[in-house]
Amino acid sequence: MIQMFQVSKIYPKQVEALLDITLHIQKGEFVFLCGPSGAGKTTLLRLLLRDDLPTAGQILVNGRNVVRLRENKLPPLRRTIGVIFQDFKLLMDRTVHENLHLVARVLGIPDMISRRKIGRLLTEVGLLQKAHQIPYMLSGGEQQRVAIARALLSDPAILLADEPTGNLDPELALDIMRLLADVNLRGTTVVVATHNPILVSEMGRRALILKHGRLVEEIA
Amino acid sequence: MLWERFQHFLGEIFINFRRGGWGVVASIGAFTVAFLVTGIFLLLTLNLSHIVARWAEDFQVVVFLHDGITAEQLSLLRKRLDKELAVREVTHVSKAQALADFRKQIREQESLLEGLKNNPLPASFRLRIHKKYQTADALRQLAASLRRMEGVEDVLFGQEWIERLTGIIHVMKILGMVIGAVLGVTSLFIVANTIRLAVYARAEEIEIMRLVGATRAYIQIPLILEGSLQGGVGAAMALGLLYALYRATLWQLGTSAPTLFSGSEMGQFLEPAYQMAMVGVGALLGGVGSLVAVRRFLKV
Repeated sequence: MIQMFQVSKIYPKQVEALLDITLHIQKGEFVFLCGPSGAGKTTLLRLLLRDDLPTAGQILVNGRNVVRLRENKLPPLRRTIGVIFQDFKLLMDRTVHENLHLVARVLGIPDMISRRKIGRLLTEVGLLQKAHQIPYMLSGGEQQRVAIARALLSDPAILLADEPTGNLDPELALDIMRLLADVNLRGTTVVVATHNPILVSEMGRRALILKHGRLVEEIA
Repeated sequence: MLWERFQHFLGEIFINFRRGGWGVVASIGAFTVAFLVTGIFLLLTLNLSHIVARWAEDFQVVVFLHDGITAEQLSLLRKRLDKELAVREVTHVSKAQALADFRKQIREQESLLEGLKNNPLPASFRLRIHKKYQTADALRQLAASLRRMEGVEDVLFGQEWIERLTGIIHVMKILGMVIGAVLGVTSLFIVANTIRLAVYARAEEIEIMRLVGATRAYIQIPLILEGSLQGGVGAAMALGLLYALYRATLWQLGTSAPTLFSGSEMGQFLEPAYQMAMVGVGALLGGVGSLVAVRRFLKV
């Protein structure tokens, strides 16, 4: 599903974000991308989404080489990938429902269908009763779940989650993880970036450990 | 699907308009000013050319006659004029006719004429000149030869100042175009700036749309349409103002100098084709302005 071959990303002024990464993530896998902040986790996810290009190496996502993907092929690729951003990226000037609706529109889901779908996803994350609140009024954990619901709108083949439990207390963090595991059970390949080793050991999944931009260890 | 896309575009434009606030007002205002100034020049040159063309057509040479001209002199002069190659048409205006015409021109102020014991206006021949003789030189020669004839009091011809006026109109046209172009480009930059601010204000939203797979067109088209709308609205407002200004000017001229500008047939507003072209050019400039902004400040 996801393959990286000797991928490096070097930012100007020789800032080495990723160095010689080779990895392979199977279809339907649940994988942690683990490492302290600054290890290159977010950069790696951004490369998968083709939000940025690697300095060297090749990246295959869902059978497509994203490095050589033409610009007009980007939107279709991105629509197959759900993303949960580190900072949630929820718009605070509109309701939860409207936040999801914005993405549904981009995905080209007709309003009739998207209304039902949004309702179903919000039920799934336990937030249906807050659909018409502004995300600003919600707690961190609730905002995170809105972000998850939004990422699932496209029924993505791949779900990328960047520190989805960032500043949540351990109890809530595990809740979120279970939610992601459920998504994984339904066939979505899930990649979770986290700096929290405890979470990784509790979930008992495969983990790729990044340090200073290098893949240093792999826990099966 | 199509309807939803349309709704999306419309909704986005509306949101940008609302959030844009003074920026939107500024860019519409800039377009209004640009098109108002250009429009004033356009309207002035249009009307002046119209007036000049009519004058040129109407009375090119007037031969005023002595009050004491004899019938023999008159017929001689008439024959001479009929033979003249440059002359296309000769109209004789008697003293009585001249007075009647004048009375018609100053209607409502006829009391001015009440004190007159005898008719002070001279009889005249009005000459229309063939196109190819309508140059200042040719007419000056004709006037000089006619002036030497018996019974001729004076010969007037407007060719020289018609040419001068035509020159002025030409200069005004160029000036109008230059000023219009400068203001147009300025408006373009102002609209580009407004759209840039709209892009910044919605950076987060645009970022989200981009990352979940919105196409370039999906993000850009509403912004470009918005620029077009601002340009078009600006131009339309300029047209409205221009029309008001035009009516006011006509009214003013009508009351202050009715003899010269009697009634509304004197003036001429921009033709519908021109009006549509102005709005179209406004929309085009606005669209180009936002395209510039969008190209520079949006990545994919």
